[in-house]
Amino acid sequence: MLSAFTTLFASALLSLAFHRKFALKPFALLALLLAFYFTYEGAGVALIGFATNESVRLFELIVTTVLFAFVLHEEEDINITQILFIGASSMLLLESQTLLSFILSFESLSLISVILVSQIKTTSQAEGAVKMFIAGSLATGVLFLGVTFYLLGGGELLSSVEANPNSFEVLGLLLMLGGVFYKLTIVPFHGWAIDSYARVRETHAGLLSGVAKTVVAVATFKVFAPFLAFDVALTNPLLITLALLTMTLGNFLALFRKSLAEIVAYSSIAHAGYLLLAFVAIESKFSVDGILYISIAYIFMQSAAFLVLDILKKYYDISTIEELSGFASQNAILAFFFTLQLFSLAGIPLLAGFLGKAVVFYAVVDAGLWWVALIALLNSALSVGYYAWIVKSLYFDKLSAKKREYISIKLPMVAQSILVLGTLYFGVFAESVFR
Amino acid sequence: MSALEFIFVPMVLAVVLALFFRGESSISKFVSLGLFSYMLSFSLSLFEKLPKVGYLQLGEFLRVEQFDFVLTLQVDMLSTIMLTLTSALLILVSLSSWSMKNQALYYSLLIMFSGAIFGLFMSTNLLWFFIFWELTLVPMYFLVGVWGAERRIFAAVKFFLYTHFASMLILVAFFLIHKESGHFDFTLVKESMLLSPVLIWWLLFIGFAVKMPIFPFHTWLPDAHVQAPAPISVLLAGVLLKMGAYAMIRLVILLLPETSQEYAWILLTLGLITMFYAAFMAIYETHLKKMVAYSSISHMGLVVVAISTMSYAGLSAALYEMIGHAFIIAPLFLIAGFFHHKTHSWEMRDMGGIMQKAPYISAIFVIAGVGALGLPGTMGFVGELSILLSAVKSFGLWLIVVALGSMLGAGYIIWTLRRVIYGEMSEVVKKSEFKMNFFEFISLVVFALFIILFGLVPNLLFEYINPAFSQFSSLGGH
Repeated sequence: MLSAFTTLFASALLSLAFHRKFALKPFALLALLLAFYFTYEGAGVALIGFATNESVRLFELIVTTVLFAFVLHEEEDINITQILFIGASSMLLLESQTLLSFILSFESLSLISVILVSQIKTTSQAEGAVKMFIAGSLATGVLFLGVTFYLLGGGELLSSVEANPNSFEVLGLLLMLGGVFYKLTIVPFHGWAIDSYARVRETHAGLLSGVAKTVVAVATFKVFAPFLAFDVALTNPLLITLALLTMTLGNFLALFRKSLAEIVAYSSIAHAGYLLLAFVAIESKFSVDGILYISIAYIFMQSAAFLVLDILKKYYDISTIEELSGFASQNAILAFFFTLQLFSLAGIPLLAGFLGKAVVFYAVVDAGLWWVALIALLNSALSVGYYAWIVKSLYFDKLSAKKREYISIKLPMVAQSILVLGTLYFGVFAESVFR
Repeated sequence: MSALEFIFVPMVLAVVLALFFRGESSISKFVSLGLFSYMLSFSLSLFEKLPKVGYLQLGEFLRVEQFDFVLTLQVDMLSTIMLTLTSALLILVSLSSWSMKNQALYYSLLIMFSGAIFGLFMSTNLLWFFIFWELTLVPMYFLVGVWGAERRIFAAVKFFLYTHFASMLILVAFFLIHKESGHFDFTLVKESMLLSPVLIWWLLFIGFAVKMPIFPFHTWLPDAHVQAPAPISVLLAGVLLKMGAYAMIRLVILLLPETSQEYAWILLTLGLITMFYAAFMAIYETHLKKMVAYSSISHMGLVVVAISTMSYAGLSAALYEMIGHAFIIAPLFLIAGFFHHKTHSWEMRDMGGIMQKAPYISAIFVIAGVGALGLPGTMGFVGELSILLSAVKSFGLWLIVVALGSMLGAGYIIWTLRRVIYGEMSEVVKKSEFKMNFFEFISLVVFALFIILFGLVPNLLFEYINPAFSQFSSLGGH
């Protein structure tokens, strides 16, 4: 059922042919609307190696919505084209069923991400892009090493993951997961992420850490679930260690940052740890709901956070906490939206972030690992430290430096409203996800 | 309005008011007064509808079958009393904040708080209970952080982090309860369904102990109390600490009676330590508001002692003392804040002889003060006496030491009165004008009247308090 993919891919190619640039944005928006409609209707043809289900479809709808907001926010044409490409490969990745289709679409998404960040304007951006490129190549290498072992063990690439693998295949699958974990910025594969996220343009970082990461997480969970459930005694200690390390390190390092982009980047690493907890809780029937819910919550709040940072930098020239002080008196609505998204990231109730975490952590408790859930929750409480600090700076501190003029920001604010609505909606109405 | 609307209308209203009204616009003030009065009348109307035993159904909303995530609204006598107390306090707090700066935002936050707290006392689904539990933090964080004293930001962040950490233990306990019993609705959970009641008991106990607060988890409260503006201190003492006590009664004592019985001695010991420790700190303190804050903690220690008896009489006494504590501590905080506002000092040595300058306000301070030390004829006396009696009945005669706590209370209160209200008039007081806004004064008068009225005729309250625990009178076994 790849109509949405076809639409997005075709329109992305077409968009390159546009001369009159002003028409590109409406065109891209239209393409995303069409893709949304096709996904909603479930229209399209089945393709070997790809399959969809209700959960995947819901997530595709959400990805389309978030990308819609990205296009609204974005002003440069080349980025709009690439957003469409990212949308197309996300559809492909989400619907992939066999290992081969997973690897191919995973690589295509990585490729587009690299192209995305390679629009370099400053040396600092260049450093971020190069780091990401090298890390990405390394991840691909590890992934293919895993494929080699998997094939050596007699695995088939053209079918789903072996539910009962032999030891060669296990080694292969673990290596493949390792390759994927590079993209998910799981500690100890996170080294590149901070520099990349904090240095490339904020919109790009939003696409990478908000959209691409969740898409990879959901798709990986879908494809690797049989393997994760195969020998929990073997994989779980590994996954638990990685998850706890990732969230603890992410949160602790975020506490001491001054740059907003770095804080959000570290929080993105911490959230990768929470995403991984759904993998840990594979034995619970709530693990599917868990990964889906936290991904939905995360895609809204993380994308919104980076887009706000982009607005702050572009229009107000703000990039550190100190410069942010007293911002609420300058643009109350943007400050309010930002606060909502930060509180959602912190896991404050009635916002999607809370329910996302609650469902994942419940799944972990349900799988019999209450102490893991406790450590994760304490981590989440720790994260309130830096989110509350940003909010403190927004509201409690005196307005810093010069008084700026009122700036009218139209379309990016519409984009923000869409994302805030998503965060609020999924914070209260959980029914739509569990169905 | 239906019960559901009492939760969500305030939250939406708060955001709308905050976005449309700025600065000193007094619209939000009147809206909040109207809303809180309506909430009070709603809470009072519930008393007539309550069944003799068990819960009054107020509806189920937002059902998510697969996760047992349902907003079940049910109230019984205990929660209705808490609702009434809360809405009454919210009205009085609104009155006593009449001349607050940046009013529009301040009252919007109060309105948001009211929605969350109503949800907390009405919801019987543990997940929603937790949601409202956490939601009360957000307006409080801003109320302390924006309107507080010099070190307000430190106090606000500490308060937020400290209580949020504790909440995490609570959430794990709730998850375990659901995993082991299959229900998030605590009215359906029985202790016998649980596989690991001891673990759950500890998680819940520590989680709620932070909120109450019980020694050694109390350190956030003196900071928050001292930095918060006076009306918010009232809200902290009168509503937030009561949330902790309510949860301790409902989800620790009544939900896990057997484990609680086993660990009652922990509650008792910590309750006594809290009481004496805070009382000694209050004697030592020369900072007026800190003295009141420690006195507040000391009284909460008394409530813990009463809860630890796990008897019908003890729980009733605890509930009475909770109400009494709210009415007694509130005017103390408000007047302490007022004195500070006029003298620009917190130190008792800078005050003295205020009685000659502001006789009416000082009189109310004295009434509340003697209420705090338990003078007969005030709510403090009834509360402390009934707690003393129930504790002696449950644990033996040695608990007469509770009376010692009252004596310490007499020590710091009378000494404070001597230093602040009576005595020589200090230079600072001579220079200060003590004029109070009419509405703020009215709220003080109401507090004083309540202290005396319910002190002289405690049955007005016990009539409602006793049925709150009648269905549990078979429990406890004392």
